[in-house]
Amino acid sequence: MDSKRLILKFILLFGLTFLTGLISSRIGFNTQQVISMSIFSVSVFATLLFWDFRVAIAFLGVGMLLLTKTVDLENIIKFASLEVILFLMGMMVLVGLLKESGFFAWLITLILRTKNLTAKKFVFIISILSALLSCVVDEVTSIVFMSAAVLEICDYFEVEPTVYIIISILATNIGSTGTVLGNPIGILIASKSGLTFEDFLFKAFPLMLICLLITIFLVIIWYRKSIIKLDKNMNELKANEILIRLISVPPEKKLRVSLSIFGITLLFISLHHRLELLWYLETNTLLLSIPLLSAGAIMIWKWNKARSYIEKDVDWWTLLFFMFLFAKAGTLKYTGATDIIAKKAVSIIGNNLNFLSGIILWVSFLGSSILDNVVLVAAFIPIIQGFQALNLNLQPLWWALLFGGCFGGNLTMVGSTANIVALGLLEKERGIRMNFFRWLGIGLVIGIITTSVAWVTLLFIPHYYR
Amino acid sequence: MKVNQIMSKEVISIKPKDNIKDALMTLFKYKISGLPVIDENQRLVGMFTEKDILREILPSYIERVGRFVYEENPKSIRKRLETLTGLPVSLIMRKEVVTVSEDTTLCEVGQLMLLQKARRIPVLDNQKKVVGIVAREDVIKAYAKEAGWIVSD
Repeated sequence: MDSKRLILKFILLFGLTFLTGLISSRIGFNTQQVISMSIFSVSVFATLLFWDFRVAIAFLGVGMLLLTKTVDLENIIKFASLEVILFLMGMMVLVGLLKESGFFAWLITLILRTKNLTAKKFVFIISILSALLSCVVDEVTSIVFMSAAVLEICDYFEVEPTVYIIISILATNIGSTGTVLGNPIGILIASKSGLTFEDFLFKAFPLMLICLLITIFLVIIWYRKSIIKLDKNMNELKANEILIRLISVPPEKKLRVSLSIFGITLLFISLHHRLELLWYLETNTLLLSIPLLSAGAIMIWKWNKARSYIEKDVDWWTLLFFMFLFAKAGTLKYTGATDIIAKKAVSIIGNNLNFLSGIILWVSFLGSSILDNVVLVAAFIPIIQGFQALNLNLQPLWWALLFGGCFGGNLTMVGSTANIVALGLLEKERGIRMNFFRWLGIGLVIGIITTSVAWVTLLFIPHYYR
Repeated sequence: MKVNQIMSKEVISIKPKDNIKDALMTLFKYKISGLPVIDENQRLVGMFTEKDILREILPSYIERVGRFVYEENPKSIRKRLETLTGLPVSLIMRKEVVTVSEDTTLCEVGQLMLLQKARRIPVLDNQKKVVGIVAREDVIKAYAKEAGWIVSD
């Protein structure tokens, strides 16, 4: 980074933070509220301007909050939401085992072995697989495997992979809304709202599926020329032994055991609410502890690799960033800053729930297209909690936040981590650089249509109010 | 014992503009795993190793996908090798190179080889010019000689 640009960015960061502080004090925040707001805004702007420094800035921010006595030690630890961090950690260990056992390679061989593969069938399979995979494992793991499969298959059939990478990314972002496991914002919302896996399964999953099918339909029309070309090459080259044998089928026993552990984990996670009621446990106790139990079991089974799971498969960098981000967002609520914002919002736009959920949906949609959606959701959570004091039904607001935060990832090429990872692979592997406007075309269409579908659903289906 | 007592003084090297295919053939010819890349002023600008080639031709996601093993060579590998043919080594060489000075001790070199996973380390003089190269074999041989395992070269 050249020094002139760096200085400009620093000036911009301080300017924006100063402005936030100034606006906060103008609208009647007290000193502590202004400090918490300014420190949180540094984190938000830093993710935009200094992505590589985000953890350093998170550390500094939390240190400053403690030093300025804006929050005390006990509360900052509480706000760090260790339960969410531990859940993500447990899932990362589980995904590490799945990777190692060849689960993803096995999934890819399923595509390769599809009988009478046609281009449309291929689009359908990669979309469904991307979405379902990002429903149950994190979206980055899911997109790396899907991109690898798309690149290899397109290479075999001698077509440009860009279109199929885009389709896979769109489906991944949509799919990640389906359960609490897909996107970190899912578990974050679940843990703060008390929504259960079952709620996600009956409310988020069907809506995700509808949006996915609409997306598949639209991309088939949008990319019809590329699909015709792939069809032609598929007819000429035919799926033969070489394609089927491109990726080796992993050893069966280990795969079977890993799949069983994964299956049992998913089963218990999906039944967590029922079991919690049965065993008189606090809401989401099981949801948050099942990945830990699975990770523990895995580390006993593979004891000689346990350290490697913890050191290599757990993304500490991201988890630490999340932890400090949550701590700073919690402080906003603690100082009462977000309660004031919630009150102001209601005094300006009224307490019409439909209107509020629409605003949250579209603001989080637009916001997450440029910001990391975890940052955005972390900022929104205390505001939504602030609405509770005003006796509002929060349910549709949580769903609006989830769908806006995930679907916004499709709007721009930097909208979500999955986009950045997959487009990075495309550039590195095939030298194809995505153009901002090439993405924006399809991103706008899919983003706006799927978010509109979510909006209409939230407006008219009472299911989302209970 | 110091490095200058065991290093090879005749350094086989390549220039930054040499093409990758020729450089690879040089590796095969001398049965070594890496070559220092030296500019016209005899200054070290990089290291070209088999590992760099492997990194270039295998898919970059191979380390991130766990057990994702290709049974057949994907077409992309051959294509990448073809692309590399006419390109200069400066494009793929490693620019951050572990080096030692002539008076570095044997133990220090051995430690560097272990920690940095380096097989061959260039030896530089005060003007940062390459005066020799020391390989793992040279270090181990020196120890073996000391222990009396090897009587003479």
